[in-house]
Amino acid sequence: MSISVLDALRPARKPALLGLVAVFGLLIGAWVHGKYFSDRSPVQPIEFSHKVHAADNEIPCQHCHIYADTTPVAGVPSVSKCIGCHKSLPSVRDQPEILKLMAFWENREPIPWIKVHDVPDFVHFTHKRHVKADLECQECHGPVETMDRITRVATMRMPWCVECHTEKNVEHGRDCWTCHK
Amino acid sequence: MSKISRRDLLQYIGAGGIGAVGGVLYSESIERDVELLIPQVVPPEDYSPGIATWYNTVCNQCSAGCGISVRIREGKAKKIEGNPVHPVSQGRLCARGQSGLNVLYNPDRIREPLTNAGQRGTGNFYPISWDEVLTTIGSRIGRLKIENNASRVRLLTGRVRGHLDELFAQFMGLLGSDHYQQYDFTYPSALKAANKISFGIDQLPYYDIKNADLLLSFGADYLGTWISPVHHSLAYGHMRQGRAGRRGKTVQVEPRMSLSGAAADEWVAARPGTEGLLALGIAHILVSDGHYNGSDRDQWSDVLQAYSPSAVSAETDISEGNIRQLAREFGTSKAALAIAGGATTAGTNAVASAVAVNALNHLAGNLGQPGGIIFNSDQAFSATPGTRQAGMQGILDLVEAMEAGEVDVLLVHDSNPIFSLPDGVGFRQALDKVPLIVALSSFRDETTEQADLILPTNTYLESWGDDVPDPGVGFPVASISQPVVTTLYDTLPVGDIMLSLVRQIGGELPMAMPWRTMEEFVKERWREEYEKRGSADQDFEAFWQAALEAGVWGQPGVMTGDQIVPSGASTIAAITNPASQFAGSETDYPLVLHPYLSASLLDGRGANLPWLQELPDPLTSVVYGSWAELNPATAEDLGIREGDVLEVETPAGSVSVPALIFPALRPGVVAMPIGQGHTAYGRYARNRGANPMDLVSMQIDDRSGDLAWAATRARVRNTGERLQIIKTDGVTRTLGRQILGPKNDHA
Repeated sequence: MSISVLDALRPARKPALLGLVAVFGLLIGAWVHGKYFSDRSPVQPIEFSHKVHAADNEIPCQHCHIYADTTPVAGVPSVSKCIGCHKSLPSVRDQPEILKLMAFWENREPIPWIKVHDVPDFVHFTHKRHVKADLECQECHGPVETMDRITRVATMRMPWCVECHTEKNVEHGRDCWTCHK
Repeated sequence: MSKISRRDLLQYIGAGGIGAVGGVLYSESIERDVELLIPQVVPPEDYSPGIATWYNTVCNQCSAGCGISVRIREGKAKKIEGNPVHPVSQGRLCARGQSGLNVLYNPDRIREPLTNAGQRGTGNFYPISWDEVLTTIGSRIGRLKIENNASRVRLLTGRVRGHLDELFAQFMGLLGSDHYQQYDFTYPSALKAANKISFGIDQLPYYDIKNADLLLSFGADYLGTWISPVHHSLAYGHMRQGRAGRRGKTVQVEPRMSLSGAAADEWVAARPGTEGLLALGIAHILVSDGHYNGSDRDQWSDVLQAYSPSAVSAETDISEGNIRQLAREFGTSKAALAIAGGATTAGTNAVASAVAVNALNHLAGNLGQPGGIIFNSDQAFSATPGTRQAGMQGILDLVEAMEAGEVDVLLVHDSNPIFSLPDGVGFRQALDKVPLIVALSSFRDETTEQADLILPTNTYLESWGDDVPDPGVGFPVASISQPVVTTLYDTLPVGDIMLSLVRQIGGELPMAMPWRTMEEFVKERWREEYEKRGSADQDFEAFWQAALEAGVWGQPGVMTGDQIVPSGASTIAAITNPASQFAGSETDYPLVLHPYLSASLLDGRGANLPWLQELPDPLTSVVYGSWAELNPATAEDLGIREGDVLEVETPAGSVSVPALIFPALRPGVVAMPIGQGHTAYGRYARNRGANPMDLVSMQIDDRSGDLAWAATRARVRNTGERLQIIKTDGVTRTLGRQILGPKNDHA
């Protein structure tokens, strides 16, 4: 009489398989989430397209993000900035997204954009220094001019920062106090 | 298992589906919270995100008039510090000034005009539009003006200086009503009255503590609450440690040790109400021992005859030797200065006491001298500050007029007499006789709650204005107050409200007061002053820009050599020594009630600011609430322990507060901080502690017309209840641990 554990395991085979399928489903779920629902690419209150503005119409980044070279933040353009151009662009005035923009302006309300690129509050990141160092916007923000909806391409986490600082041999680039004051 | 059964297939699909949903949910749960990126609708001109800008303006948390710098980021005020170039604050600021942000961002601010819809005093208010409210008030006042009844319009404000004061005065003047008065509980009316008697000058002088060698303070908590605490603290620092080899000495005469008392070399707890007498006793010795050798020495000697050390010692409960020693030090110091304030100038003999202190200054020969009393003879602006202070007498007149039905419209701005005056005044009851009460206020304090219409004002951080510090700093100084942030709510600067009313009322008013805004008015007046001073070598716009940036304009050094030295004759003539008349007999009320201004809440105006509520009292370390202080000996006699809830009773009323055993208090005195006990004024102030003004009997010092708030006797009764006092201190005793010496009997 041979002794085998397989017989003993037989009743467990089906739950194990079910578990395997569930884990596989979990991975698929996480992937789908990352691809379609993540904060890397949230749906914005207005379907603003960087592709239309930066590529098709060749507007330079700092035309709208006017504070990038002088202050810590690049600056999301004010509603008045949008209107400044759009009030004299009758060709697109009746598009639904532009109507949304006009509604914000008429109500004197700011557009509640969802933040895509963010570092925690304990990090003293400044755009000014990075722009002054002649970094292209795309190095961190990715090929923005090809995106209809903005998608974060980098993790914006410390290893990613340090990797670049090391690679570019930034002075004091690995000093804690450079970013954590 | 070659075939999967239908049942199994469904199970696998189910497991996969649950797994997938779980995966999505798990990924979602580890995501960062969604943060919004809110742009400006229209950015301000000088807006640069992430970079702080400092704007200079004037503090309004007390009446010192410190210059402040406010740190602004993204259009929001973040921090307040002292303005380094302002001669009053010199880059420093007190806790009250720092808490200005709590005023700006206070959740209990009035955000829109309100009406009580005819139900006065219920606390129910309903929003109303600016147009409607201004039309209502404008037409009411306009009608009174046409009927030649403008004197039935009264205006009561807190301490207002600079050109806002002029705006109010002009408004009332053009209406034809001379009933514009100010009431500020902390205004040193008695001191001003005494100085007028002694020096013939109707304004507060500059007390040069900085250069003094001996500062003898009678009740004036100059480091905490008296006149200009930040400036005095700077001066104190210099006096003590700023001069090599010359350390000034300070002596504090007061029944309850204040912050200044704790910082003094000597604390002299004279019997309450006899501080002026002590000053005269010292003066007596100064003359008799030959420390004073002026030509009018004989007159001084005559008038001070009665105040021999032995007589004074018996009354004041200060030993003869101590009085003699104080006199010797005062007489031999190179620069001796005596000041009076606090409870010393809040008895029924307030002015007499302050005159007695002036006599000391006269005998020390410090008038117009460094380290003495310096007169601000030239003001930056023509108007003299503080001339409209009504004092208690003015309030009583107003109450009488209201009771007699002579007031149709009462405008109240930034003044809270219902809270800061004893009930005996009858201010609240008199309001019932006034058909229309309009409050111009940022907060719903006790007085504002009684209004029919509330016009919400901008806070001082959102308003244009200017200020001449009172007292000045010995040379002409004026500060500009500018809005450092845009208005948060649907409120208006008080000056703009008055100018809107001008346009509503019509008649000749808009012609005489054509300005649209307070900014326009202030700027025009500064232009006039600028041109009057003939300094036209610089373009006014350039001057204005520079003054705005600095927040202050001044002419240092202008005053020196320009000092008048008043003769002692008027002081000599005014020396009397009436004892302070205490309400309540000594047998019924064995203790003396000593209310004192809270170092954080002041007269209660700071009680709605959470930062100040949680700030420990500097002497007792208590936070929040009220308490009654008793000397350990008194407490032992009465069988009272810390935390026993006492009923403090006076002829005027009673309050319940926990007892605090406090050694730095004269036995036989019960001390209570002023400031708590609000019944309105927002969530942080309301229903917290008790108001000692409920205990104060209505007594007036005749010579200044001011309330004698430190002239009431009290008794305490242990209710048997207990309440833990919240404080950051441990115990004040050493409990036998021999910390203070080899042997400690007090354990």
